[in-house]
Amino acid sequence: MAFSGALTLTDLNDFISPSQACIKPVEQADKKPEEKYVGAKTEIVVDSSGSYYEVASEGAVQLNNTSAQIDNEGSTGTKLEQAQISLNDCLACSGCITSAESILITLQSHAEVFTFLDSNKDATEDTKKLPVLSIAPQPLASLAASLTASACSSSSSSAAPPITPHQVLRRVQAFCREALGIAHVFDTTFARHLALREHLLEFEERKAKDKLGGEAAQGQLPMLASACPGWICYAEKAHSEMLPFISRTKSPQQVMGTLVKEWMGKHAGFTPDKVYHVSVMPCYDKKLEASRQDFYNDVYSTRDVDCVITTGELELMMREKGWDLAQPVPGELDEEAEAVNAESTALPELIQHAGSSSGSYLMSIIEHLQRESAVPLTLSSKIMRNADYEEFTLTVAGSGKTVFKGAKCYGFRNLQNVVRKVGRERGVRTAGGAAGRLAGRAGAGVGRRLKKAGGGGDEDGGKDKQYDYVEVMACPGGCVNGGGQLKPILPKPQESGADEEGYPRDWVQTGVVLPENETEMGATTAPRADVDPPSVAAIESGVVMNAKWGDKDWTRRVEAAYWLDGSLEPMGQAGVQCDEEGSGGAEIKMNGGPHDLDAPPPLGPSAARGRAMGGGREGPTVSGRAGGRVNVKSDATSAERRRSAQRIRKKRWAEKLADRVLKELCGSDDDAVKNRQRFFRTEYHAVESDVGGLAVKW
Amino acid sequence: MAAQGTHEVQPLADLESHSDRAWNLAWNPKHPLIASCSADKTVRLSSYASSSGNTLAPKTVRAVAWSPSGKTLATASFDSNVGIWEQEQDEDEDDEDGDVDMTGQKGLGNGEWECIGTLEGHETECKSVAYSSTGTLLASCSRDKSVWIWEVQPDAEFECMGVLLEHSQDVKCVAWHPHEEILASGSYDDTIKLYVDDPSDDWYCFTTLKGHESTVWSIAWSPCGRYLASASDDKTVRIWAYAAAASDGGADSKNKVLQVKPPSVISSSQGDGRWVQVAVLDSHERSVYSVSWGKGNNGSGLGWLASAGGDGTIRVWDVQESEDSSIALNPKLIASYPEAHGVFDVNCVSWNPRAGMEDVFATAADDGSVKIWRINPSKEAGSD
Repeated sequence: MAFSGALTLTDLNDFISPSQACIKPVEQADKKPEEKYVGAKTEIVVDSSGSYYEVASEGAVQLNNTSAQIDNEGSTGTKLEQAQISLNDCLACSGCITSAESILITLQSHAEVFTFLDSNKDATEDTKKLPVLSIAPQPLASLAASLTASACSSSSSSAAPPITPHQVLRRVQAFCREALGIAHVFDTTFARHLALREHLLEFEERKAKDKLGGEAAQGQLPMLASACPGWICYAEKAHSEMLPFISRTKSPQQVMGTLVKEWMGKHAGFTPDKVYHVSVMPCYDKKLEASRQDFYNDVYSTRDVDCVITTGELELMMREKGWDLAQPVPGELDEEAEAVNAESTALPELIQHAGSSSGSYLMSIIEHLQRESAVPLTLSSKIMRNADYEEFTLTVAGSGKTVFKGAKCYGFRNLQNVVRKVGRERGVRTAGGAAGRLAGRAGAGVGRRLKKAGGGGDEDGGKDKQYDYVEVMACPGGCVNGGGQLKPILPKPQESGADEEGYPRDWVQTGVVLPENETEMGATTAPRADVDPPSVAAIESGVVMNAKWGDKDWTRRVEAAYWLDGSLEPMGQAGVQCDEEGSGGAEIKMNGGPHDLDAPPPLGPSAARGRAMGGGREGPTVSGRAGGRVNVKSDATSAERRRSAQRIRKKRWAEKLADRVLKELCGSDDDAVKNRQRFFRTEYHAVESDVGGLAVKW
Repeated sequence: MAAQGTHEVQPLADLESHSDRAWNLAWNPKHPLIASCSADKTVRLSSYASSSGNTLAPKTVRAVAWSPSGKTLATASFDSNVGIWEQEQDEDEDDEDGDVDMTGQKGLGNGEWECIGTLEGHETECKSVAYSSTGTLLASCSRDKSVWIWEVQPDAEFECMGVLLEHSQDVKCVAWHPHEEILASGSYDDTIKLYVDDPSDDWYCFTTLKGHESTVWSIAWSPCGRYLASASDDKTVRIWAYAAAASDGGADSKNKVLQVKPPSVISSSQGDGRWVQVAVLDSHERSVYSVSWGKGNNGSGLGWLASAGGDGTIRVWDVQESEDSSIALNPKLIASYPEAHGVFDVNCVSWNPRAGMEDVFATAADDGSVKIWRINPSKEAGSD
């Protein structure tokens, strides 16, 4: 199963469903003389080469016998255009989900990576490419949680310390180096660091235009996150009115592509086409993103990311190579050495950005605003309908004036509401529906009513403040719960409680489902087993896994693993105590630098750690212009201090390196702005999908 | 008129016809109004005397539903949208506290019905729409296999509460429990699914009713809320009940240890009982497209069930609980009316929900007509 398989098929209540008709219009490029066969009976004949001919039916028999004649007797048969459907067409449509999947599986899969590596081995100097692999932090968290869970279940005696993403990264590097021959393996957090910087810049640009008012302000705010390709695909297909609001900044995956091919490649003496860049992502839709036309380099005929595989596919590769990720590798607990050489292209690893496990887009803006503000700003948060929809407000301490309102919004259902809310607030609506067509008549009524309701949006501040930013992700729980992540490992084999009638058992509460549907999915998409392997560790320890994507408890564990700190001992009690200390709306003022003091906490109380540790408390209020959201206890251990110091160093390193990358890539002359657009921004395109003519009667 | 059974079906009125097949109708629960919709792309609002058409969507309107207040009409259209319609209030009219004129004078005020909102989200034809008993939730379903649940908010605004993709095929109908927040949906995949809200989470499907051998076209809860009737392309109407299981496994409709209990949100999510089929009505000769369960006017039993479909015959059943301890029901056919719309398929049958009119129902058919009927005791059989 590929292409959002987890997102598109059966049994979830929160995903984007496939449409049933192919949206690719059949285009006839060269028009034939139309009268030719009018009224006459014609047939379509396929010759041995697979070409299609339209022929008068009398000639059909003859032509069938000797297809070679067709070429000679062009007058008898008219060669028809062959319909061409590219991968991009299919990905944008998902109308025929299974065929799109099979194309996708062959074009971007672990098997493709193996094929490339094999052929690259025997390649000549001319054609040899440099293989590079980039792995996102969410797959590392998924693997770490999976390893920890299976270690716990296999040795019931003592609770082993949890495996950290840092350890997993080292082990994946070892696997790539020793089993695959990929020497260059990075995580994507430095690319994210660049993306977040660009993202801030774009937010400031939009804010400035929004301030101007009038036409320039149209479609500027709220800025909507663009890192989730599932959301982008959905918006392009179903909500083109949202496209102006979506951030133009490239996702970390694509920034990583630029970084690897344009910057590191150049430093190492490789042109972009001489680098083969594989990325490991928590999400099937990242394959779609990588294959977007905007990320294709025409000059070198190559893509920024050549092949995207999911966490599950990476694990499958390990299984096929007989690699046991549970085995420690030498030096996996060592601290990362900072590159001292100014010319080095080494990247800082596993930079943690405070906020969410889906990229911290919202929190990076909040911190930025707090940092830049001349007056102290108070941050407060409010969980809306569920933990996946949370509002964040920045108010001026004292006056209470609202200066910023943002939200994180995960999952298809919440996404619907944000789309409606933004559409309503900003006066954009899809023109597609009946309301649009009725604008002349009933539409006037709508306006009248709304006016009567008194919902003008021009007053600043207060409760009516409109959103400035929304961190939109299509998956409930965000990227740690991406469709490409490993399946949950359940601590105990489940009692098969669910009978045919669907008796609710515990699994209903947790959202864990169902062997019954699994088989259904398997039937729909044969290659499923190849793409969604059970984890190696799980198989070895005999853990039963009849759970599936969407298990909330499991998502929490992956989230917890995501925030585990790197090279030192995993962050344990300290973080817990801090959180409890910070509960009940305690305000902690900090004078230190922004966001680099302690373990970045997840965004708000809804995130896994907050919820698991802090209990059912209200959203914390953290104030102070420094934006110090965290809580250094007086009894902080020296290990914690060391961690903090290291984190500060890493952030400084990242900042310095980011400056250098920008300078080297974009230059500092007149073209700098243009180059920045080219390397760090992208565009979106509404997909035309009027399938009205294809609709069935009922 | 080939009356059969203890009662007879009396034609009361023919409403002005649609120009294409009439799909569905809905009685306004408060006012003397019937809304009917059609492939002719209109919704027609009819009082018991006059009617007026409203031009609507550019596509067929497949289903209509009134909010419990009777003030709002929801339409499910093949343009994939749900439309929300309200009557424009006359400027001089003060109707703010929402007192309802039961005499129906207000039902056809002069105010024009206008579209005050559109619920977009379905990708393909929307097939059915329904308000919950309190009017705070709205459900819709579509050929895109999804069921959507919306919360009704002030100022014609709606918030999406859930997108349920449980069915493997086209979803044909949705129906809310008469007083609990339990939703049922029927589908081309031959199943019925029941949903409740998990307060700490999202809506989810807590059970699937399997038994029909073809498309489930229509579902109706009994007025008491303990039973669910479904009409199917397999020519049957089936009745289902929530029964607390005293013994596990192998429980079927004949199992006397089971006891029918009112389903509630709590019992549904805790799963201390199960849904079982308690009756199969197989006297229709063709697909059954619609089923409606009214209170009946005999003051006892579970009320009257009306069914109609491809064979053109309206059938009315009196449903009583078994006198022994069996949970099986044995509904009695008390009246039938063949060729209700001539040779045409009957697409919808619906009881009047208003007090004092429990013996009146309406039908909509492929000939575009909407007819009103009353159930009278047959002369020879006497009352009940």
